Amino acid sequence: MKRRHLFAGMAGLAASTLLLTACGTGPSTSAAPTPADDPSGSITFWSSLAGMDKVAEAFNASQDKIKVSFETIPNGANGGYAKLSTAITAGNGPDVATIEYPQLPQFVSNGQVIALDGLINKAETVDKLTDETKALVQFGEKTYALPYDAAPMLMWYRKDMLDKAGVEVPKTWDDFEQAGKKLKAVAPDSYLATFNPNEVAASAGLAWQAGAKWFGTEGDSWKVGVNDEATQKVAGYWQKLIDEKIVKVSQAYSDEWSLDLANSTVVGVLGGNWSATGIQKRTEASGQKGQWIAAELPTWGNESGAFYGGSSFNVTKSSKNPAAAAKFVEFLTTNQDAIKARGNTGSAFLAFPGLTPVAQKAYDSSYFGNDIYEVFNKAYGNITPGWQWGPNWDITNTALKDAYGKLTTGGTIDDAIDTAQDATVASLKQAGLSVKE
Amino acid sequence: MATQALTTTVRRQGRALAGTGGRTAALFLVPFFAVFVIAMIAPVIYSLVLSFHSQQKSGLGFGEAKTVFVGLENYVQVFQSETFMEGIARLGLYCLIYVPCMVGGAVVFALLLDATVAKARKLFQLLVFLPHAVPGVIAALIWAYLYTPGISPLVQALQGGGIQINFLDSHVVLPSIVNIGVWEWTGYNVIILFTALQAVPREILEAARVDGAGEIRAAVSIKFPLILPALSVIMLFTIIGTLQLFTEPNIISKATASVTSTWVPNLWAYDAAFIRHNLNQAAAASIIIAGLAAILSLAVTRLSSRMNKS
Repeated sequence: MKRRHLFAGMAGLAASTLLLTACGTGPSTSAAPTPADDPSGSITFWSSLAGMDKVAEAFNASQDKIKVSFETIPNGANGGYAKLSTAITAGNGPDVATIEYPQLPQFVSNGQVIALDGLINKAETVDKLTDETKALVQFGEKTYALPYDAAPMLMWYRKDMLDKAGVEVPKTWDDFEQAGKKLKAVAPDSYLATFNPNEVAASAGLAWQAGAKWFGTEGDSWKVGVNDEATQKVAGYWQKLIDEKIVKVSQAYSDEWSLDLANSTVVGVLGGNWSATGIQKRTEASGQKGQWIAAELPTWGNESGAFYGGSSFNVTKSSKNPAAAAKFVEFLTTNQDAIKARGNTGSAFLAFPGLTPVAQKAYDSSYFGNDIYEVFNKAYGNITPGWQWGPNWDITNTALKDAYGKLTTGGTIDDAIDTAQDATVASLKQAGLSVKE
Repeated sequence: MATQALTTTVRRQGRALAGTGGRTAALFLVPFFAVFVIAMIAPVIYSLVLSFHSQQKSGLGFGEAKTVFVGLENYVQVFQSETFMEGIARLGLYCLIYVPCMVGGAVVFALLLDATVAKARKLFQLLVFLPHAVPGVIAALIWAYLYTPGISPLVQALQGGGIQINFLDSHVVLPSIVNIGVWEWTGYNVIILFTALQAVPREILEAARVDGAGEIRAAVSIKFPLILPALSVIMLFTIIGTLQLFTEPNIISKATASVTSTWVPNLWAYDAAFIRHNLNQAAAASIIIAGLAAILSLAVTRLSSRMNKS
């Protein structure tokens, strides 16, 4: 019996620790980036974006020096970054990876992606981007990625429901609240939009639009302002919308959320240009064709906006052929053939000038009641400058998501941003970073 | 899950003790211990090493991080984390509801199946066991669907009967997740207990009957005490299994904000390792969970061996 105790205990111990066996720290293979005019060899490419296999094929067909092998990985929310991060650390990551903007600084800060300076033709790539997009991929004057899509944050509305409520498309957040109230008057069970606790990037976007700066640098220190003045204003406003039942708290993309859209319980979506396919998929069967329109975000008085989503392509530390990898990244982000090869994968909006029309041609936007690309273009021109993502976004992401868990039982968004601020500062300090509040 | 591995380890040990020792035993034991060392012991040691170190950066944090020995600091940070401690408390509450419901249910079902008057025994055995044949992830997905207001036929039916309940509300979501566990594991444990009941000597039961004991009296006074050893094994597995709670809350968290990404300690460790990229803290958290499992299993085995003796 004695020995059995020990055994059972040990097995329990081992089973719990099994969780961690997958993550080893292997030998680091840091290849010094050397510029090469004519790189060749084989490289691997990981992405969760649909249609990227076709892009890799197109690249392979277009030349015979570099051979790209493609592998689909799960998206970030489903463990894609965990896989990427562990693989790079273990030294068997891909040469080229796909990373969204909020997560990019942490990969840079962990030394998991390499600077592209010297590997890419700057004049033909980064120099042609807008300042707001450049700011997403450059840190300390080095370029760590080339941006693929740049997703302006938008509001999508059911035009017929706005008409029913007798309101115009809201121009300011004040209009938005009034529109919500009028909607309640004609359809008491309807909500103008949802507040999505699982989409912290949306909260960040709303704060960004209002001029918040969650992360910034001051000398050799990070400045964290998850509960700064602008964010508090936004938090108070959305809390009011929740309290007045103008917006409904529900998890984005959940079955409940989908059903609410289909049966007109929710008549607006806070999203990005990429929301089009999702809206169409969820509402087409309910005969809502032609009713959905895209609109710029309501503002706080002056022209402003934010990015909500979008990905960049990077060369990882585990790449043994960074020159060839960088060449492929250039193709992915600046070549029209790359966009053409992908075909119709939704209402894409790309950062590099001249690419969006190619994507637009492949996408059938007839489901929508207005010219959505015209709205995208306008929104893209009004991004509030000065936003930067922090050195470990997912700390803030987890903290805010967890704090939002209390929203249904008396918690407020104000409390949540305070909690997230404290958690972010504490965790960054634990990692040894210098932080100012 | 761990339960299966445990059954095999315990069984194998029994055989090893019964054997005559020497070379034959070694021949049979080597493959097991080789795998056990590589897949179990080595990771534990590696996690221990990880948990005493930390990746430290300085300033803005751009550039290589240094690995430094920090002693127990990671453990202190884990214990200081409000979300981790909330997770432990939640798990305690989960245990408190889950263990009596599941074990109690399993005992009742097993005794019913064993009753002499029971008809269609094989069929009911199968029906009771069937939920366990559904993989945990699938079970969680099914229940997530059954819990989601507006979609669930269950919620709709209750509403039709005048009962307004949101299973995913943050006050109710814990019992809702307990329900998934009970649904999944009761059948499995019924089979273990039923097997133990089959081993109860029939002559004792006959003697009881001759003395005038009815079905219920025989079940309570004769059968139940005789299956106590099996019951203690079940308790052990259940408690260890509970500490591993991960799949169900992970799936349910996609449907509601009430289940956060650090809801139970295992989710906390997963989030630390793969989302927040802090392997060292995750290692410390895992060691704490494992330690807790060790302490609890020791307590359960002690308690049950004392009960068996008395």
